[in-house]
Amino acid sequence: MSATKECAIVGGGLAGLVGYATLRHRGLTPAEIAVFGTDPDPAGQWRVRAAAIRQRRMRSESDGHCAPRSFPGLAVRASIRRKSPVPLVESWLDRYRPTVGEFLEHVEEVRGETGWDESFRRRRVERISAADGGFELEGLGRFRHVFVATGHPGLAVPPELERDPRAVHAYEPHEYRENVEIVGAGMAAATEWLNALAAGANVVSVRRREPDRRPLNLPRQFFTRRGLAAFHRTDSAERQALLRGWSAPSYPAGRAWDEPVERARRAGRFRVAAEVNGYDQVICATGFERGYAHDPLLARLVTEHGLATAGNWIVLEPDSTVGALTNGERTLALAGVAGQWAFPAADTLMGAKYAARGFTRKVEACRSR
Amino acid sequence: MSFTLRGRIESRLAAGIAPLLAALGLAATITEWWPLALAGTMIGVGLAFEIVLDRRVDYQPGWASVPLAAFELGAIMGIVYALDISAPLTVALAFFAGSWLLGLVLMHGVFPYVRLSYGEDGGELGRAGAAVAVLVLVSLALFAGVALAMQPPTVHLSAGIHEGPLILDHAQNLVGEPGAVVRGGIVVTADNVTIRNVTVIGGENGIEVDDAHNVTLDRVRISGVKLDGIHVRRSSVAIRNCLIHSPAGEYAQGIDISFGFDLAPSVVEDCTVVGGREGIVTHFANAHVEDNRVSGTTLRGLTLTEMSMAMVEGNEVTDALGVGIFCGDYSECEIDDNSVHGIRPDRASGDTTRMGVGILAHYNAKAVLGDNEVSDSPGGTRAVLGAEISRSD
Repeated sequence: MSATKECAIVGGGLAGLVGYATLRHRGLTPAEIAVFGTDPDPAGQWRVRAAAIRQRRMRSESDGHCAPRSFPGLAVRASIRRKSPVPLVESWLDRYRPTVGEFLEHVEEVRGETGWDESFRRRRVERISAADGGFELEGLGRFRHVFVATGHPGLAVPPELERDPRAVHAYEPHEYRENVEIVGAGMAAATEWLNALAAGANVVSVRRREPDRRPLNLPRQFFTRRGLAAFHRTDSAERQALLRGWSAPSYPAGRAWDEPVERARRAGRFRVAAEVNGYDQVICATGFERGYAHDPLLARLVTEHGLATAGNWIVLEPDSTVGALTNGERTLALAGVAGQWAFPAADTLMGAKYAARGFTRKVEACRSR
Repeated sequence: MSFTLRGRIESRLAAGIAPLLAALGLAATITEWWPLALAGTMIGVGLAFEIVLDRRVDYQPGWASVPLAAFELGAIMGIVYALDISAPLTVALAFFAGSWLLGLVLMHGVFPYVRLSYGEDGGELGRAGAAVAVLVLVSLALFAGVALAMQPPTVHLSAGIHEGPLILDHAQNLVGEPGAVVRGGIVVTADNVTIRNVTVIGGENGIEVDDAHNVTLDRVRISGVKLDGIHVRRSSVAIRNCLIHSPAGEYAQGIDISFGFDLAPSVVEDCTVVGGREGIVTHFANAHVEDNRVSGTTLRGLTLTEMSMAMVEGNEVTDALGVGIFCGDYSECEIDDNSVHGIRPDRASGDTTRMGVGILAHYNAKAVLGDNEVSDSPGGTRAVLGAEISRSD
């Protein structure tokens, strides 16, 4: 049997990069960390999706970055790079949204500075099994500490549109036809309304409920201990209800979103409907599949180890670790959307940092180190 | 940022360390307590604000720090005035501004840089935060305890007549109850003495202060004395809200502050002086003479002479014989916003410089005049014997 290695990161996306950068910041060497993924570019998949919806600015703010330290954030970096105080002032007014270009440039910087490529291995992890003093990653070796950051399990398409040739998911590359129906009411949908209108299309927004208007995915206090402490005190039923409520569609308030839509509405080019109704293109801005069961790796992990679940979620400790499989010698933590039981905005960069810090604390406290 | 209450308190106290140390250094340098009192007030008000905000605000955007700081500054200055903390206004404002800026830098830059989870922990600083909080609070309690222990005792003077002269030869606060009267004067020979709400009747001088520093005379009433109502030598005093009735004797004066040129400036403020040869007079002294009312004097209303340096502002001098405001003998005086009215010519003296002069600069003195009102005074404003008068912009 091969020797047990230190850390594995399962998933080579942005959450994986955040976990990697945090471990490196706390002194682990690239040799002590193995990153398993399918694309060495940690922004590879995200880049494709952002390009598909023509996203120009992040929804996140200055803190939405991959570096282990909160400061300096993206606003400070932008101010230095542009030699202008404007990004700092915007951040001070809660109006700073980094451009996608700035964010991707930052990801490249973190990738280069941390030595990500030294640790990256192009392998898909099919199974994680608890073993003595660690976890066996099928065919890849044994690791004491495993940080699972597999991301969203897949794109969600309404069942009635799955075989509809007119339908395309918003996160898949597409152009806009003359008449477009956009299903959904979240950030991606709102972005697509503006894209399609700018391309000259007539738009029908297909939605069953009105979206919430808020700057971030969640009310801000749920990104810090202020809101999390109460969240962690909830029982299973209440927590599931909260998570379901927060998964309802939302996008930021502001004239930049409202004015183009209102102009188009007055011109008869934008309307709202409850059902898809025969347009020649249907864009599904319906996000991702929800629940661990859609991720084969996680589903197998739950089944084989009898992990506690609640609805769509794997039950986690407040620090994002899987309590049943974590002890003084080994750690299993879930980042990304799979970590919502511990951090409701787990599928954000802040969420990835939260999980990474909890994981790193456990690694540092490990008796075998 | 979404702070927790603990995060607010720990961050605030950690940000208060540097100002507290600066205040400690300043207090040690100038041997005064006010820097520490000011820093303690700032930290106390800050903590109170944090507790109130915690109940009302889930998320505090960066821009909110400006209006909150304005409210906080208002509260701090209110307490500073209410507690009579003797911090100079500009120093207090600069101290607050510096501390506020430092706090911003720490909370938005240094703390998140040093502590990875500072933001998600709601501003909490972990074990270091608790240690810092204890350190700052214990230090403040220690300073407050020492300051209180070093405060002079307060002696209450009961209502009724007390035979003088009272000799105050150690630091104390002498506070009169309503109706407390000293007959025969009070003599102060110790530093850090405050006399408040006391009436003095008779005696050579009403209150005599000799070679003493940081003496405060507040709301004292003096009448029927033979010489000076308040007689100050080689001392620095603050005299406020006094009332002095001087007799028309040959040597009687309202307030005489002399021979303290090398000491901290004395202040005479909001006093009413009636009668006497000179209402308020300084010889070879630094003084601020502000917002007083002087009337019925037989030599001069206000006199600043023998190389005195004085600011004379907002005073009202009326019904004086000879001269209203006198700046003489190499003194330098800034005279602004005073009202001088009804200065009568002293024809009996035969002195041409005493013919109802509202403001007189005399014998090589330099007077800088601002916006004064001189009326019903036939001598107007004059400079004689090498003295100069200039106008401020």
